[in-house]
Amino acid sequence: MMTEADYYALFEDYEAGRLDAPVRADLERRLAADPVLASRFAEYHDVTGTLHAYGQRLRVSEQLRAFQAEIDAEQETTVETGRPTMPVMHISRTEKWLREFWHGHRATMAVAASVAVLAVFGTLLGLEWWKAHQQPSAYGYTVLRRDVDRIKRDQKALTRSIKQIDGKALPAAPINNGKFSGTGFALTADGYVVTSYHVIQGADSLLIESRDRQRYRAEPVFTDVAHDLAILRVNQKGFAGFGRLPYTVKRREADLGERVYTLGYPREDLVFNDGSLSARSGFEGDTGFYQISIPVNPGNSGGPVLDDRGNLIGVISGRQMDVQSAAFATKSSYLMRLVDSLSAAGSAPGYNVPRTNLLAGQSRPQQLRKLQDFVFVVKVYE
Amino acid sequence: MGKGLPSFSDDELVAGIRRGDERALAHLYRLHLPMVTHLVTQNSGTEDEAKDIYQEGVMVFYEKVRDGSLELSCQIKTYLYAVCRRLWLKRLAEKGRYGGRLDDYKPYLETGAEADLAEAEERDRRFALMSEALLHLGEPCRSLLEGFYLLDKSMQQLTAEHGYTNADNAKNQKYKCLVRLKKLFFAQYKEEPLP
Repeated sequence: MMTEADYYALFEDYEAGRLDAPVRADLERRLAADPVLASRFAEYHDVTGTLHAYGQRLRVSEQLRAFQAEIDAEQETTVETGRPTMPVMHISRTEKWLREFWHGHRATMAVAASVAVLAVFGTLLGLEWWKAHQQPSAYGYTVLRRDVDRIKRDQKALTRSIKQIDGKALPAAPINNGKFSGTGFALTADGYVVTSYHVIQGADSLLIESRDRQRYRAEPVFTDVAHDLAILRVNQKGFAGFGRLPYTVKRREADLGERVYTLGYPREDLVFNDGSLSARSGFEGDTGFYQISIPVNPGNSGGPVLDDRGNLIGVISGRQMDVQSAAFATKSSYLMRLVDSLSAAGSAPGYNVPRTNLLAGQSRPQQLRKLQDFVFVVKVYE
Repeated sequence: MGKGLPSFSDDELVAGIRRGDERALAHLYRLHLPMVTHLVTQNSGTEDEAKDIYQEGVMVFYEKVRDGSLELSCQIKTYLYAVCRRLWLKRLAEKGRYGGRLDDYKPYLETGAEADLAEAEERDRRFALMSEALLHLGEPCRSLLEGFYLLDKSMQQLTAEHGYTNADNAKNQKYKCLVRLKKLFFAQYKEEPLP
């Protein structure tokens, strides 16, 4: 009877091919016929195979470690500092950790840094842009010159060109409506007009247009930035004067609670609005201005503020953004002081400020009818 | 990277390794080490970890080549990258650091690496069991079998080392040891269910 060890000897010889042909044939036949023997052979094969593979694994693993050691040795002598003659650089544990950290996370940090930089600059630029759009309001103060509607202009140009194509209309010189517009009113019968300084700020040329579409070229004569006043003079050839002015300019300060109204051109047509004199000081306590409760809009700037008896008491200047219907008007007393000082300075021709009031005691519509011819659109070209 | 090294094509490398040419293996090892070092160090690993991973990866490749069961559908470089990538992911998962996303700089292709790795894992398990069984075997069986199978010593050498009177005695002893080893090995192998 063969022991298992004997079989193993037989198997080894069989696998190594050391068996004689008849013995081998006999073994193969028995392996095919006897499942017990076959499984014994399979086990033998499995164990020796695993042993061989294990041996190979250990050897190759050793080899690979040797390769790595060789590479490490090469790098240590030649590449470590980049200069073979220099000693190997020694760095502290902390620095090593820092270097590894930087090495591992630099991409993340770069992204974080870019986001931070973008956020900072985005915020700054955004704020700048926002502030620029709020201008020229200082802390909620909005001046009321009107940015002429570009769409409307484009539309007009389009209509014109269509008409031209139709051949029904003569090609008229394109009407330039100006960049900004405000309101102005006559100061004297011979061609002085008052408006707000900010309306004509930065103007190249000025045009004033009356209700009946009569246009006059004008030039600034004097400006007072602090009180937001500008005096213009019509310098059109053949200008014959406005006619007799129906209102007077009040030299004293008006009383609180007085009912006041204004006329102006916040749009293409003359617009009336009324209210009361709410305070005798303006934005942030500026004593050069009144606060009035008249709803005003861009384009109203430079418009006259009159009281019930037809006295001019102020010139519309601006409004406060965050307060309900708080408009501000330059006091007429400042206007008169300005006129007086200009007259005293002797600049020709003199100012014949109207002295008689034709409006007192008349009803509001009657007053307006007389008034409307002396209120103008001031168009500004830059 | 030594400049004096001859350059091999992938096919030459595979053929060289199949023949057991140590130079081919050394060349292969040097060739792709930087790639894997980069992969691992870019993904929160150290250089030493990179070396470990790379050696494991090369081993998988080597054993496939020696088996003759390698079916390479891509470059060796890509294959090794896929294997090492997978190994590193596993290592990271063990460390519990990562959800399993790597910062790749190569497209991860279908290389058959997954299947090969499963095979390699199974092989690792067998080797661990075998080493365990050898430990339990006791002397002189252990040194005899290790000498013959692992260290490739001849029977004559072993006969002399272990003081047997002749090679046949040593052989008989070896077979007996083998039978015991087999019992130990299969006892453990069958105890542990396949994962």
